[in-house]
Formats: sequence, C-alpha cells, structure tokens
Amino acid sequence: MRRTTDVALGLAHRQVTVLFKNPSLFIPPMLFPLMNFMAFAGGLSRLRHVPGFDFHGGYTAFQFVFVLLQSAAFGGVFAGFGIARDFERGFARRLLVSAPQRSGIIAGYAIAALVRWAMIAVVLTCVALVAGMKIGGNGVDLFGLYGLAIIFNQVGLLWAAGVAMRFRSVQAGPLMQTPVFMALFLAPVYVPLDLLSGWIHAVARLNPLTFILEAGRGFIQGEPTQVALAFGLAVALLVIFAVWARTGLRAAENAG
Amino acid sequence: MSRSDEGIEAIGLRRQFKDVEAVAGIDLRVLPGEIYGFLGPNGAGKSTTVHMLTTLLPPSGGRATVAGFDVAKQGSQVRAAIGAALQEAALDPFLTGAEHLRLQASLHGIRGDERKRLIGRLLDRVGLTSAGNRKVRAYSGGMKRRLDLALALIHDPSILFLDEPTTGLDPQSRTALWDEVGRLARDEGVTVFLTTQYLEEADVLADRVGIIDHGRIVAEGTPSQLKAQIGKPTVEVVPESPDELERLRELLRRFGAETAARPGAFAVQLDGHGALPEVVRALDTENLRAAQINLHEPSLDDVFLAKTGRTLEGAEEE
Repeated sequence: MRRTTDVALGLAHRQVTVLFKNPSLFIPPMLFPLMNFMAFAGGLSRLRHVPGFDFHGGYTAFQFVFVLLQSAAFGGVFAGFGIARDFERGFARRLLVSAPQRSGIIAGYAIAALVRWAMIAVVLTCVALVAGMKIGGNGVDLFGLYGLAIIFNQVGLLWAAGVAMRFRSVQAGPLMQTPVFMALFLAPVYVPLDLLSGWIHAVARLNPLTFILEAGRGFIQGEPTQVALAFGLAVALLVIFAVWARTGLRAAENAG
Repeated sequence: MSRSDEGIEAIGLRRQFKDVEAVAGIDLRVLPGEIYGFLGPNGAGKSTTVHMLTTLLPPSGGRATVAGFDVAKQGSQVRAAIGAALQEAALDPFLTGAEHLRLQASLHGIRGDERKRLIGRLLDRVGLTSAGNRKVRAYSGGMKRRLDLALALIHDPSILFLDEPTTGLDPQSRTALWDEVGRLARDEGVTVFLTTQYLEEADVLADRVGIIDHGRIVAEGTPSQLKAQIGKPTVEVVPESPDELERLRELLRRFGAETAARPGAFAVQLDGHGALPEVVRALDTENLRAAQINLHEPSLDDVFLAKTGRTLEGAEEE
C-alpha cells in the first residue's frame, strides 16, 4: 500500500510542477468554465422568468452548479490529455519501468487532476460570489455539492485515462472529450428538467448526470433532493470508470 | 539495499508481435556482479529482450527471473530490484534534472533528507551538479544519457539494464559512461545487462557477451573465448626492401599458414597467441628489416561474421 502511495504522490507532484511551469496547460482549463459561466449565467439570466422555472436560488446559482460540474469533468479529461502525451513522448514508459506498484500511476494522475480542478473551483466560486450568487444551502449542503463535483472530476479523469492508455496518443483527445461533452449537454443545462420537452426531455430523464446536476442544484438552494440516488450514481460511475482505467493500464502494459 | 545473490536467467524466452517472432526462444544466465553484453544489429531482438526482462513487455512464452523474481508474475519485486536506462532517454522537457531525480526517488519510496542527499550525490557523480536546476530540454544528448543513468541508480539497484546507452554520444561521453558502468560492476557489485550494437563497447566492457541475431542467441562467451573460437591472430609484415619479400615468406611460414596480405607484404595466421615476439626475434636474427609489422586480432565482428555469415554493419542495413 505504501508503495502505491509513494508512486501516486511522486507522480502527482510531477504533474503539478509541470502544470505551474507551463501556463498553456493551466490557463485554458481555467478560462473555459469562467467563460461558460459568464455566458450562461449572464446572457441567459432572463430564463428564470420562464413560467415553471421553479429554482429559487437565482439563475447565477442555477448555472454555477452546471459549470462547476462541467469544470470538474473537463478537469479530469484535460488531465487525460497529459497521460496521452506522456505515452506519446515515452515518459510513461519510464513510469512503467520504475514504479514498483503501477496502480499508483493512475492514482497519481487522479490526485493531480483533483489539485488542478480544486484551483479552478476556487476561482470559479469566487467569481460566482462576486457576480452575486446566492447560496441557500448550509455547510453540509455545500459539502455535498463539492463532494459530487470531486467524484465527477475523478470520473472524468478515469474515463480519459482509460482512453489515453488504450490509444497512447494525443490524437485520442476528441474521443476523451466528446462523450463527456455530449453527456453534459444532454442534461438540463439551461432550465429545469420539467421545462424540457420532446426527445431532449426523454434523453435527459435517462441521463444519470441529470440526477447529479439536480442534486447539486438542490444543495445550493438548501433544498437537497435525490441525494442518495445522485451519490449512488456518481459512485457507480466512479467504480465503472476505475475498472475502465485499470484495464486501460493493463492494455498499455501489454503493448509495452 | 543489499546486492541480490541472483542475477538474470531466461529459459526459452519468446516474444511474438502478430506474425513476427522478435525473440525466438532465448536461454541466458547472467551471474551477480557480471557485465553481460548483448550484441546484435538493429532489429535483432535486443530491446525486446530487455523490455521483457524489465517487465515492460509480457513474454509470449518461456520464463525469466531477474534478481530471483519471475518477470511475468512478480513484476513489482523485479522493478524494485532493477534500474533501467532505456534506448530513448524518456525525459520530461519541462522538468529539471533534479526534479526528475526527485520523481524517480519518490517512485521508489525515498523521501525527505535521504532523497535530497541522493539527488545531490548522483548529480555530482554524473557531472550534472551545475546543470541540475536547468530544464532538461536544454540538455545535450550526452547530458540526457548521464541523467538517465543517474535516474536508474537512485534506489541503489542490484541489477542495471542499459539499452544501447552510448548510441549517439561523442567519444568523450562514451568513454566516461564506460568508466562509470565498469566502476559500478567492479566496486559496487552491480549486475549489468548491456545491449549494444558497438563491437568495441562489448569488447571493452563486458565480462561475457551474447550475440543475438533474428531473435536467437547465436554465440555466447567471454570476448576472448568467442574470438578464439573463430580464429587466430594474423601478422602482416612489409619488408623494408621489396627484394626481401621471398626471404620474408620463407621465414614467416615457420609461424603459421599464409593468408591474404596487401601488395608488397606477406601475412600468416599465427599458430598460437603470443607468437609475435618470436616473429620479431626471428626477423632480427635473420637480419631482415621490416618497414611495418601489423598484428590483427580477431574481432567480435569476425565472430558475428562466422556465426551469421554477415558482418554486424551489413546486418544493420537489412
């Protein structure tokens, strides 16, 4: 166990070091959610007046939850790009030949993805508060919201890690982000689920991210809803994609 | 870490890539503290063998143990016992040399002051102290190779794998690396498995050499044993006066069978090693003045030629 932790912490330290030395890796993932937040929460704020819009926490908070979860997922996906780059440049081979416990490699990338997203989350939260976001939930509710986002960040990382380790090339980038993008935007992004209609409503009702998003919005307005279901789904996704990433690592090991 | 009593052993080790059999069943044994040179042209199967022995690639068949651990079933123990500097020095251009060493130490669970001490010591040992805080993208090829060696040594491994460590290095860097590898085996008892396509490297460094071609070991032994297997040294003498060539021929035939020589010279394959002083004494006794005396020892390339029918240089172009 200690060896796994050693590998994970060593690799996470390297990832964070590289991140700070290379603004091109750090700034785009930071700007992307901020721009989304400003565009959605600002430009679409009049949507809150649509009849049946039953979210009481204000449109800024409504959009903040989506952008927070989106930034978490894409924080993980962008970390997957780094994994693919390591394989392409041969650095991953160094890790594979040096790390006594290879499962620590995935854990190291996961810790680094979390640290990177945590910085984005802090900035995003500050910007939202400055923009007048109202928080109805208490500390426990916020813990629930950020807890969901953390799990979501790790789900995104594990998905992208599985793809990166199978393809071992940054050319697999679109494959890492497109399904995440699709899944996010097939959830009730701009209005509550009940205001959607037609096929998008049918798809959103079945999308597990809908439940996570609605639970997050419940937390921020202080009216927790579907909490057990949301956490259950998030943890299930985490387990599924942990297996996906581990089998991806095995594929990389077999490929040499 | 105490040195392992076990070296490297492979029995019928194979690796298949779709229709290509890169390693076709090799048997080898490397003793603890030995430098084993794995010599062969590009594509012979050297790197594939190293990748299997370092757990980077699972074997398709056969069995191998490194430091007493099975490479297929005890990968983590193998990786803890070995250091490896692979063919491409895979370094992160954004990290400094010291940061690479820090990562490598962390992977092996070395922390705190011990890690700091080791980083300083290894940077000093490979001559990178002043460059330790520079990003490696500014390093020359030789500096990257030296850093790669330091990385492989950070956890004091009992077995070191070096996959073509001097390819692309200038002669000075190459000699420095040879000195360090020799010192590691001699003074610290590190077992070294070295792949190379340079005959001179295998000759100078290796206690024993295995020659691999088309995925199979075609010859194995100490460099002198291998050379002795295929031939004896040749002495070629150019007389000071061309008129003396016939007398020279009669004299040299006493020492061995005639062999091909340049125009104006005569050469024989000596019957025994150490016969050169006798040739020189005979020339002196017969008052036969020589303009040039050349002794040609059989090389590992001659061994490769004898075992495969091709020269090592020619084989690389296949």
